[in-house]
Amino acid sequence: MTTPLFLLTVALYVVSSTLSFLHLSKGDAGTGRVAAQSLAAAITTHTAFLFADHLATGRGFLNDIHQTLAILSLLTAIGFLVAMRSRRLRSLAAFVTPVILLIFLGAGIKLSVGSVPRQVESLLLPVHIGVNVLGIVAFALASAVAAAYLIQERLLRARKISGVFQRLPALDVLDSLGLRLVTIGFPLFTVGVVTGSVWAARMGGLSFSTGQGFAVLAWACFAVVLIARLASGWRGRRAAIGTMFGFLCAMAALLGYVLRDIGST
Amino acid sequence: MASELFVVGLSHHSAPVEVRERLAVPAEQLPDAIRRLLAASELEGGVLISTCNRVEVVTYTQDPKRTAARITEHLNQRSTPHVVDGYVYQRVGDEAVRHLFRVAAGLDSMVLGEPQILGQVKAAYACASEAGVVTSLVSRWFSRAFAVAKRVRTETGVASGHVSVSSIACDLAEKIFGDLTDRRVLLVGAGKMSEVAARSLAARGAKLFVVNRSPERAESLAKACGGTPRPLEALATEINEADVVISSTANPGFVITYELMQGVTKTRRHRPLFIIDIAVPRDVDPRVGTLNNVFVYDMDDLKEVAQTNLSLRKREVQRAEAIVETEVALFTQWMNSLQLTPTIVALRERFREVVMAELERTTTRLSNMTDKDRQMLNAMAEAMVNKLLHGPLAELKRANESADDAEVIAVARRLFQLGDPDATSASVSLTDAEFTPAGSGSGSRS
Repeated sequence: MTTPLFLLTVALYVVSSTLSFLHLSKGDAGTGRVAAQSLAAAITTHTAFLFADHLATGRGFLNDIHQTLAILSLLTAIGFLVAMRSRRLRSLAAFVTPVILLIFLGAGIKLSVGSVPRQVESLLLPVHIGVNVLGIVAFALASAVAAAYLIQERLLRARKISGVFQRLPALDVLDSLGLRLVTIGFPLFTVGVVTGSVWAARMGGLSFSTGQGFAVLAWACFAVVLIARLASGWRGRRAAIGTMFGFLCAMAALLGYVLRDIGST
Repeated sequence: MASELFVVGLSHHSAPVEVRERLAVPAEQLPDAIRRLLAASELEGGVLISTCNRVEVVTYTQDPKRTAARITEHLNQRSTPHVVDGYVYQRVGDEAVRHLFRVAAGLDSMVLGEPQILGQVKAAYACASEAGVVTSLVSRWFSRAFAVAKRVRTETGVASGHVSVSSIACDLAEKIFGDLTDRRVLLVGAGKMSEVAARSLAARGAKLFVVNRSPERAESLAKACGGTPRPLEALATEINEADVVISSTANPGFVITYELMQGVTKTRRHRPLFIIDIAVPRDVDPRVGTLNNVFVYDMDDLKEVAQTNLSLRKREVQRAEAIVETEVALFTQWMNSLQLTPTIVALRERFREVVMAELERTTTRLSNMTDKDRQMLNAMAEAMVNKLLHGPLAELKRANESADDAEVIAVARRLFQLGDPDATSASVSLTDAEFTPAGSGSGSRS
């Protein structure tokens, strides 16, 4: 999977992440513009890479964990590029683009495109992967927003309210955005966990793996965050930490699948 | 010995809020406080400026060292258990003039160029006037300071933009809540700064509620800001509902205690709360800032924010400082002329006295003198006095512009036996000499 297009996409995400960070810390508008352009270029090469891979293997887009990661990072990047039209969200690029880069790198760990064995293919599989991808995209963005919230809150408490503090969105805006993203991601992720369990049961009974364990932990974590937020008005730092922890669990689950996939190759 | 203009005190530059809050004098106690302080320091006139950020005595004295010691001792008595010695600064002569001009113009303020300080200095002057301790010299000095402040504001951009504590507080509120439309803002106390902050927040769409010890004051402030008055008993309920709290009471203790806020945060459902404590002494227990989703900023915190704006206003500051320097030079020159004027007057009178006495003695011996002859002789005597004095007076005026003026004046007085300068200087110079610097209007109070 580490084709020239893959490497070019990684390079563009690295450039975009670096420039986004510089834009956040220095506040130079020109740097921010180039960072956004780099992200748009990365999205283009990313899409080209996926199609090239599809043409090379002749398989669908959601058959394999690596393809899934590639799709997930692409959707996150497109979603954020659209969100960047809002000026107050632009500075969040410094948090979102590194997350996109990490997910995309997960897609390239394996040297060749792995696939699901024909005997375990099912109609449930694309649904399972599709909703999980969308759910984790939402969680990835929520986690980036949560990181921005924690930094913003820390700066406010430390009385360092120039520079980065001025460029990041308001605390309440970040908090509300985080809640919205978790609210979108949670039902999708729930469907993903349920379909995954059903599919696994059909394929020969529920066998508990590390990846599944983390997936359930991530689900439980987001469930707690969401219920606490909606039922008792939980918000702020605790909600941000909960969101980030949930996303780390989801990433651990993905890593579990990736490593299992490598092991089975 | 001639009197020196003198400023002694402490400010946010030299002392922490813990010390300043102990020394702050409520406005209604200012006349009495300045009267007692001047009496204890054996001073005849002065003004006590007491704001959140400074406590300063503006006066004049023949012995700055002794006066500073007495005022410091007086401040120490008030600041127990803190000792203020290490925080107190002194300004003498043109340094004192410069200091007052800079304070009035907002150049020494925590938030550069903030307009409130001029009002506070004017209020302090009015209190001193009410106490009957404003002498001619103090009056002239403050009048000039007000005029300088006005010049700085109109001729430079040092007061433009968000430089006041209230504006910074509003900006912070926006960085916490984003849009302030329909956010609930609670004003606790009815200080001038909280009123300004309230107006800024209302302009951004916030709903205002006012809690005050005096229901009448709450009512009038609420009316002025388009807010709603609430009784003081409803403080906890109002904080529970509020998004922003601005506290500026004159209460000596904490109004918003940790225990109160512990109870309030339980019922707020984790909604963020921004508390701005612009009162000195502080109204909010510092521990309140450790509570989850509660952000507390006091005066010293706002000072940090103010510092970040300084670099952006450097150019304007330089222009403002240039105006202050020009005004200091003019005022110092006028002050020096106060030392010179009585000597010139005495010298002229001495010469006239001698010449006229001799003229009188001679004319009484002459017969057939007409009135016209007498007038001619008088004119001749005046001309002689003027011609004789031209050289010495020119030399005295030249000396007045240099550093050795006091020495030259002393020699002149001794040579011509003019007596004690202080006997004439206070009555002649301070009441008769007008301060009218070229190109900057009259010295009357603005």
